[in-house]
Amino acid sequence: MSIWRTSWLIVPVLGAAAIFQVVVGPRLAVYGVRPDLILLLVIARSLLAGRHDAVLWGFVGGLWMDILSGGPMGASSLALMAAALLTGVGHSAIFRRNLFVPSIAAVLGSAAFSLVYLAILTIVGYRFPPGLLLTELITPVVLYNGTLMFLATPLLNRFPE
Amino acid sequence: MRNNDQRGWSGADFAVRLTILALTAVLLLALQQTGRLGRIESLVTLVTAPGQSGLATLTNRLSESLTTLRNYRNLQKRVSELEQINHSLIVETLRLAEVERENQRLRELLAFAETRPGFELRGGQIIALAIGQNATNFLNYTMIDLGSYHGIEVGMPVVNEQGLVGRISSVTNTTSKVLLITDISSTVNAILQASRLTGIINGSPGSHPVMGFIPQGAEVGVGEAALTSGMGGNFPKGIPIGQVVEVRQRDVNVVQEAVVRPTVDFGRLEFVMVITNFDSGQ
Repeated sequence: MSIWRTSWLIVPVLGAAAIFQVVVGPRLAVYGVRPDLILLLVIARSLLAGRHDAVLWGFVGGLWMDILSGGPMGASSLALMAAALLTGVGHSAIFRRNLFVPSIAAVLGSAAFSLVYLAILTIVGYRFPPGLLLTELITPVVLYNGTLMFLATPLLNRFPE
Repeated sequence: MRNNDQRGWSGADFAVRLTILALTAVLLLALQQTGRLGRIESLVTLVTAPGQSGLATLTNRLSESLTTLRNYRNLQKRVSELEQINHSLIVETLRLAEVERENQRLRELLAFAETRPGFELRGGQIIALAIGQNATNFLNYTMIDLGSYHGIEVGMPVVNEQGLVGRISSVTNTTSKVLLITDISSTVNAILQASRLTGIINGSPGSHPVMGFIPQGAEVGVGEAALTSGMGGNFPKGIPIGQVVEVRQRDVNVVQEAVVRPTVDFGRLEFVMVITNFDSGQ
């Protein structure tokens, strides 16, 4: 069965997740850093089902994120697709049930997402101080997402490949 | 699942579809940047806003309930015998506490409006529910449940009883996005209350906003209040923005900077007011 025909359900699922992220996410902020729920879902999907499927999740999830936020439309999609491509390696080449693989994937995926997203924001006119951004935002975000994925790993390992 | 994955997507097939998705995203980006996606965005937010609003209300109530429960546990250790007697009253207390807090907030908002007669505020409808904040860590927006139907326009200042929240950045029929003063692209003309120095406050990623363009040599005191200066006409004069918590001064620089902690608690933003008209000379 074609993935295009079977994956329509991800639209409402990721939509609900995006609403959860924009409403509840700020309440889960630690020192001003919010968890990236959609990003973590896409990374988890890439580990469970491979990058092919996760790229579609990234595209749809990114559109939801951009619709519900003030960001440029399509920017999150491109950034999430990049993260899915990178972390999808963990599905085929690495034993994902290793305790640390999901966390490492979350760290790498978060870094890829941040860099691509910021590159797009820069292209459309935003100006960021790179040093401050790296120390004050990207590093905490990457660590926070990595920690959350580590905590979610036992749950992730319950899903079949 | 892996076999399924490979069966659905061969290598070449995947490359084609990846390209299609990427090009679609780029196309959407271009359409939005040229202002051609407004109608679609409006339709989608019309559908999602009730869900956001409902979840926001639920989350607020849950958060308040958790806080009350934490206090309740401490109390339980000290007066356990009273717990049983009061058990039946707890639910009612929670409900009344929520009503009390809401009442207090509304009173504060009303006081804000009464002390600023030069602002044109839209009766009960000016009180908007902050129904969602930005989905990423890199931008700072919030969405409110007022839109063009309520007379909201891009650029209008947004405040609450604590001070300046931001300004309207985009509007649909029933919702609006508010660019918060903490966002990197936000600029606000400000004045320091005691020293009367003027400058521009910019959002700073992952940190407090920074007031720049303060002349070198001028004395800036930690703890000084920063207010809107009214210059440029974008914001009314005299709205509290924050308090100086750090002064960055380097001899090599022509100007100095002051880190400003906002008076508004953006982590607990629930109600805001949109100033639909104001006397810029005030």
